[in-house]
Amino acid sequence: MRLRFLRAPHVALLCCSLLAGPSLLGAQTPRDTVIGTPTVPLAPGRVAPSVRGIAIDERIAQDAGVRVGDTLRIAAEAGTTGEPVVVDALVRRSADPSEVARSEYRVRLHLDHLQRLTNAIDRVDRFAVAVRPEAGPSAVDSLLAGVNHVAFGFRAHASRDVAVESSRTFQVVDRFHRAIGGITIVASAVFLLCILLLKVEERRRAVAALRLAGLSRRTVALSVIAEAAVVAVLGSGVGAAIGWVATLAVNAHYQRVFRTPLTFALLTPRIALFAVSLSLVLGIVAGALAAWRLVRTPPLTLLGR
Amino acid sequence: MTAPTGNRDGTPLLEAHDVQRRYEAGESTVHALRGVSVAIRRGEFVAIVGASGSGKSTLLHLLGAVDAPDAGRVIFEGRDISRLSDAEATRLRLLRVGLVFQRFYLMPTLSALENVMLPMAEAGLAPAARRARAEELLRYVGLGERTGHRPTQLSGGEQQRVAVARALANEPALLLADEPTGELDAATGAALIALLQRLNADGLTCVLVTHDAALAQSAQRVITMKDGRIVQDTGASPS
Ligand SMILES: Nc1ncnc2c1ncn2[C@@H]1O[C@H](COP(=O)(O)OP(=O)(O)OP(=O)(O)O)[C@@H](O)[C@H]1O
Ligand SMILES: [Mg+2]
Repeated sequence: MRLRFLRAPHVALLCCSLLAGPSLLGAQTPRDTVIGTPTVPLAPGRVAPSVRGIAIDERIAQDAGVRVGDTLRIAAEAGTTGEPVVVDALVRRSADPSEVARSEYRVRLHLDHLQRLTNAIDRVDRFAVAVRPEAGPSAVDSLLAGVNHVAFGFRAHASRDVAVESSRTFQVVDRFHRAIGGITIVASAVFLLCILLLKVEERRRAVAALRLAGLSRRTVALSVIAEAAVVAVLGSGVGAAIGWVATLAVNAHYQRVFRTPLTFALLTPRIALFAVSLSLVLGIVAGALAAWRLVRTPPLTLLGR
Repeated sequence: MTAPTGNRDGTPLLEAHDVQRRYEAGESTVHALRGVSVAIRRGEFVAIVGASGSGKSTLLHLLGAVDAPDAGRVIFEGRDISRLSDAEATRLRLLRVGLVFQRFYLMPTLSALENVMLPMAEAGLAPAARRARAEELLRYVGLGERTGHRPTQLSGGEQQRVAVARALANEPALLLADEPTGELDAATGAALIALLQRLNADGLTCVLVTHDAALAQSAQRVITMKDGRIVQDTGASPS
């Protein structure tokens, strides 16, 4: 099949992607995966074939029905004929939150090919270099120091530092989420407390009847507390179960919308345990408060006499 | 049937000596009881009657250690119960006094059997003994087939009989009932009166507050109250 890609502004932005095997791509964090057939890196001295290979997003492949081995035409300017290229590989986007909302397509070309095509010989904004896994962090550090010592007009950074830098936003977002979570917990705790107190107020008659029948303050208070605790635990258990189902739905929906394996909503056993134990504590506190009020009131007063 | 206890030897089970009870309602003071003295002998079946507001319920509460008098003394089984702590009064109600009210006040989430077993559990009766005695009591009040039913599955008359069975749970010496037929129709009320008479015949001392003429007639002794005083007593001790 034949397909023409028009030059859009984002194509120029992509000029840094050096098409290579997974090892080279691995320098970026988090990793994109090359699926389909990865091309062989262009080693020095190797002559480029006349029809060049490119790698495209899995998304374009899906949307346009392109497969590895198909020949496309690619041009830097809209309306120009461009040149034929072969799809050598498909690239699946990594689960990177900073990429999630971007719906544009990406095409990866060999650097020399991209430079020629865009007629921007000296314009490389950024590129990534992978080191072999057996080279330890100290090797990376000394390499960086060496490069930066002689570098003029650019700087080299370890991908780990770049990752830390670019994840600042997410740390802020994360803190923000925690704050929302905290406020929600406090608000619902107050709510739960009120509901439990109200519920127990409904029990005035029952408590009065028990006290008149000779049940001690202790017995009545303990039964009120136990009931509140059971209600709180069951309630939060059901709540956690609903929450878990909701995360499945939310993740399924947004993973489809954004075509990413990214997890949007997360309910870990730790969170569930926290929720249940927090409401257990709240249930006991609310039950104890209500019980204290109830058993201090004479039974006849509870009956409204 | 062995449910009720008590013997009919004519000695006072319960005595009130010049008891008074006031209620402060804002500015005004209501004198609910203005000095009431009465002695209830073992095995008696006493009805307290009188106009609304005459102090019948107030007296019953003092006799059952539900409330305490402002002045005077209440002696039950030879013991002054008018100045008990909450814990002591609660224990007395648990073991020696059975209370029945116009509204049945059963636990809605518990079965009839469990409602009856509740005071026995509090008294420390072993589970097997609890169950056996609760079943026996429910058979006694005619609900042997309904032990597993919840209050909502029972009629008013049946609920009141469960309440009577619960009041008898720990073999009390005294049954106090405040308008026990108040929420029942005539036929159901008559059945309940028959039950109370049977209990009394089996030796239980019963004191009832009632507006129900039929119930008052069935009593061997009727105490009439007016404005916080006893104005007539058909069976007062000669002493
Ligand atoms: N908690 C209370 N506060 C103020 N006054 C009260 C209280 N309880 C009872 N009273 C007053 O004490 C008086 C006697 O009340 P009690 O309930 O003993 O009457 P009763 O004979 O049982 O009436 P009824 O037949 O209507 O039940 C009434 O005037 C009543 O209003
Ligand atoms: Mg009354």
